[in-house]
Amino acid sequence: MESFEEELRSALRRCEPSPDFAERVLARVSAAPVRRAQHPWVPWLAAIAAALLLTVGSLEYRHYRGERAKDQVLLAMRIAGSKLNKAQKKVQMVAHRSNS
Amino acid sequence: MPRRAPAAASVFDFASLVRQHQAMVFSIAWHLLRDRAVAEELAQDVFLSLHQHLAQMESPEHVLFWLRRVTSNRALDEARRRQRRPMVSLENAPEPVAATSTGDPLLGTALKKLVAALPEKARAIVVLRYQEDLDPAEIARVLGIPVGTVKSQLQRALALLREKLSRVVGQASGLSPREE
Amino acid sequence: MRLAGLPIAMLLLAGAAPAQQVKWNFDKLAARASDTVDVSLSGSLLQFATKFLSDDDKDEAKVKKLVGSLKGIYVRSFEFKKPGEYSAADVDSFRAPLHSPDWQRVVGTHSTENGETVEVYIKSEGKGIGGLAIIASEPKELTLVNIVGSIDLDSLSELGGHFGIPEGLEVEKEKKK
Repeated sequence: MESFEEELRSALRRCEPSPDFAERVLARVSAAPVRRAQHPWVPWLAAIAAALLLTVGSLEYRHYRGERAKDQVLLAMRIAGSKLNKAQKKVQMVAHRSNS
Repeated sequence: MPRRAPAAASVFDFASLVRQHQAMVFSIAWHLLRDRAVAEELAQDVFLSLHQHLAQMESPEHVLFWLRRVTSNRALDEARRRQRRPMVSLENAPEPVAATSTGDPLLGTALKKLVAALPEKARAIVVLRYQEDLDPAEIARVLGIPVGTVKSQLQRALALLREKLSRVVGQASGLSPREE
Repeated sequence: MRLAGLPIAMLLLAGAAPAQQVKWNFDKLAARASDTVDVSLSGSLLQFATKFLSDDDKDEAKVKKLVGSLKGIYVRSFEFKKPGEYSAADVDSFRAPLHSPDWQRVVGTHSTENGETVEVYIKSEGKGIGGLAIIASEPKELTLVNIVGSIDLDSLSELGGHFGIPEGLEVEKEKKK
């Protein structure tokens, strides 16, 4: 199983796009037309839309961060609890032996 | 005339972000679509979108999450669209150069083609798991699907890949599946 | 003092200066480990994480209650390819910061069957207790836990027997042998 997964990792290794990929992206960004407001309220609408997008985008990412942090808390408690539980059971065993 | 407040400046250097993440974005698209030209076009579009949303990015980790999510979803959309159109033969698809490859090249090629033949969602899950090394919970968040779905689809996909690969290997070595 | 069998029930911070994280240096071990688990959650990130713990899920609700007043959770677990990749001196270096007057070792157990040693330390702070440290060493694994703040050790230990494993199962297995 391990060998198969390693083969899969190797087969799906990241690969580079064309050597001039980054330059082409930057060229497209520079060439993107600047939109001029046709109506006085368009900049306000754009600002509201941007603020909404910002809020939604931020909320989405906060949720992602929160879920990841939650997973870490659960993992930590699982590990700590497991070690503590082993110690507890050992103590109980020793106490049980000395009482019997 | 009221003075406009200056636009919020992003702390990220866009050109650096492109160079840093271009392999990841392109590879996700490539492994999902198996068409180099389309994958590069899609990757470029993703970075253009990133440029438009740069002010929303809170951290390098946010950028990474955003890129994986947008690339995967757009590639999946494109893959579904292409299902309805005749595709270029996978046999003729030129292979981009991988960073370093330690596996068997023939096996690797066979595996890539088998992955490309998986249903789109399963394909995305396998790519995010083995190209990006994400765990099922992270894959679930990137794709916006339940983690249970990720785990079951991953399990089924791996079983299918293993079974198909053993047939391919058997055929290549001249053995029929029964003779293995 | 008891620990779930040893009765340390609710541990309260006495309003003294905030407890500090144990200063452990993991660089040497991290370089030799084949696999590492690293959890470091403190202050606002920890409180932020607890907001995502569900009250509807039994385990998550227990954890939410447990970690509610904590200041930090730090876990490092190192796995090694073979025994002998870390030494007794390495373990001693992790014990060293716990030899200060405000730390007390409350439990030390050793299993000859699997070679596992677990040591539990508690930090006193004023009249209360302000932290927990665990050093658990096995032939191919070394785990260090540091929890800063007040924690109910009975509940934490219960969690350890609860996550997917029926409580008491290991003890029953040992009794049958």
